[in-house]
Amino acid sequence: MTSSPSDTEQAEQVAHPLQDFADELAGAVGGTVEIAFDSVKVSVPAENWVQAHLTARDDYDLVFFSFLSAIDWARDVAVGDPLADEEVEERIEVISSVADVSEGKRVTFSCDLDHATPTIDSLVEVYAGANWHEREAAEMFGIDFRGHPDLTLLYLPDSFEGNPLRKSFPLLSREVKPWPGKVDVEAMPEKPSTENPGA
Amino acid sequence: MTDEKTKTPETIDIWVAGTEEPQFSPTDEGAQEIGLDESESRLDEQFGRVVSDDYVFDEDATDDERMIVNMGPQHPSTHGVLRLQIELEGEIIRRTKPIIGYLHTGMEKTAEVLTFGQGTTNVTRMDYLSPLHEELAYSLAVERLLDVEVPERASAIRVLMTELNRVASHLVALATNGMDVGALSMMVYGFRERESILSFFEKTTGLRMNHNYIRPGGVAADLPPGWKDDVAGLLETLPVKFEQYDDLLKENPVWTSRTRGVGIITAEEATAYGITGPALRASGVDWDIRKAMPYSGIDRYEFDVPLGENGDVYDRYRVRVLEMYESLKIVEQVMDSMPKGDYRIDDRKVTPPPRARIDESMEALIHHFKLFTEGFKVPAGETYVAVESPRGELGCYLVSDGNARPYRMHMRGPSFANLQGLPIAMADSLMADTIATIASMDPVMGDVDR
Repeated sequence: MTSSPSDTEQAEQVAHPLQDFADELAGAVGGTVEIAFDSVKVSVPAENWVQAHLTARDDYDLVFFSFLSAIDWARDVAVGDPLADEEVEERIEVISSVADVSEGKRVTFSCDLDHATPTIDSLVEVYAGANWHEREAAEMFGIDFRGHPDLTLLYLPDSFEGNPLRKSFPLLSREVKPWPGKVDVEAMPEKPSTENPGA
Repeated sequence: MTDEKTKTPETIDIWVAGTEEPQFSPTDEGAQEIGLDESESRLDEQFGRVVSDDYVFDEDATDDERMIVNMGPQHPSTHGVLRLQIELEGEIIRRTKPIIGYLHTGMEKTAEVLTFGQGTTNVTRMDYLSPLHEELAYSLAVERLLDVEVPERASAIRVLMTELNRVASHLVALATNGMDVGALSMMVYGFRERESILSFFEKTTGLRMNHNYIRPGGVAADLPPGWKDDVAGLLETLPVKFEQYDDLLKENPVWTSRTRGVGIITAEEATAYGITGPALRASGVDWDIRKAMPYSGIDRYEFDVPLGENGDVYDRYRVRVLEMYESLKIVEQVMDSMPKGDYRIDDRKVTPPPRARIDESMEALIHHFKLFTEGFKVPAGETYVAVESPRGELGCYLVSDGNARPYRMHMRGPSFANLQGLPIAMADSLMADTIATIASMDPVMGDVDR
């Protein structure tokens, strides 16, 4: 995602308090830093995913696991608006957020995965709390977390098919019944005839 | 048949007062009987006053000696539609598996079809006990992407309302926790006092719950006339009531024996599982988003973060009670220093024109209409904003691609992570402590399932 011009301006004016820390961490885990809108994001390649979290936990004291989720960057959009930026590459982006519980350092790790068959190593061995978050991401986006102890459906019923938070998945309730307000209570008046204007 | 009829019934001795007392045989309670030779410490364990880790597990126990008990999803003490599968060995819980999803409605998906302005109506229905915090997290995320700063008065109103919401939510936690271990009066008192706060919410926002009051750009309406008297009234009555709760619970031997040493979570477990809020602070971890990453100018006000030591049910209860006092401290300071000014941002891109302008200006009417039908566009970007909800870190990860609707919205529900740690708290404890432990984690299923 490209950052807006106003944001890059702002970043130039005042360096983020976590800039140095983020640079050092990114260097240690082999990733790139992007600080936008007051959020520190470190993108790492998929093969470094687990190692990056291990380093963050053990060497940088980011012991608190906040959440893990994903974003579906897709052009096939069934729900909501299509992507405004045509340049965006189709992919599944996994994000995880970790923090320390003393000074208020918070880092979001991000990793781009193949859109068709997203696969990544599980974080359960590093942060026990990743368990449910990964199960949620797995069922919602169809991500395979290698090494997860129990990658079964978390929210969805056993017979459910599909990955609801993928952009291509329709919002079924709205397919069946349109939004209240989208339907006219009574039919709109006929368009006035243009053949005999003024008649 | 005939044999039984002709059988003479056993004679029953009836002792008539004043005559010689007959010899009663000791009652036979079978396995329930507490033997006379039980030591004091064993009794303590049985009553749950002490939980030690040296329960003797029979490693050779066969499947016949283990039992899986299914609890919920409609068990009254599971606080909503939570289902637990509990594997028991005798009275001791060996494994617990929470099963969730009964309330899952795909609200994150719904968020993608709602405009940024409509989004608050969606998020406010997630954690129904702290709707204002949900709205705040979402609004702060939108504002950060918009790169706008709300007026001071709006921030102060937000702090006032969310801190009162924290008290209301903790009152429900106390009430239900009390109810679950048999202190039914606590249930009645807790809900009664909560109602006085909800009345103020209704006066201000129009609704008792699901307010849609905090919106991107400020709040929906200014505080009502006479709000100071209402808040002052709350500040006067509530602490008195809290003291009564202390009389009821704090030193009560039944309460303490049911809660002390029960459902322990250590600091390491809590951080690894992402447990936050009073459940984390009861384990002695000084982590409060209000202090670590202040929002809405909450760092301007003086307050303390109460901490526990043992991480048991009792400490979680104490932390909640003390937090209510701290929240009222903040409310008092906000009340005394409420800045004058506008309650929403003066940016026509985000906020609709004032009502009076709509009557006289066609353009204002069109503007108003467009803002509520098409919504406002938010610059592309992504951000994560967290606030301290009564249950812990409530965060909103918001992604915009430049349209009027979020490209993706993820709510980090504190109950979700807290509930995940429930099996840790319940491991190796007694079956009877289950409901006390669940209640002390204060899960709200709307927040878990979303």
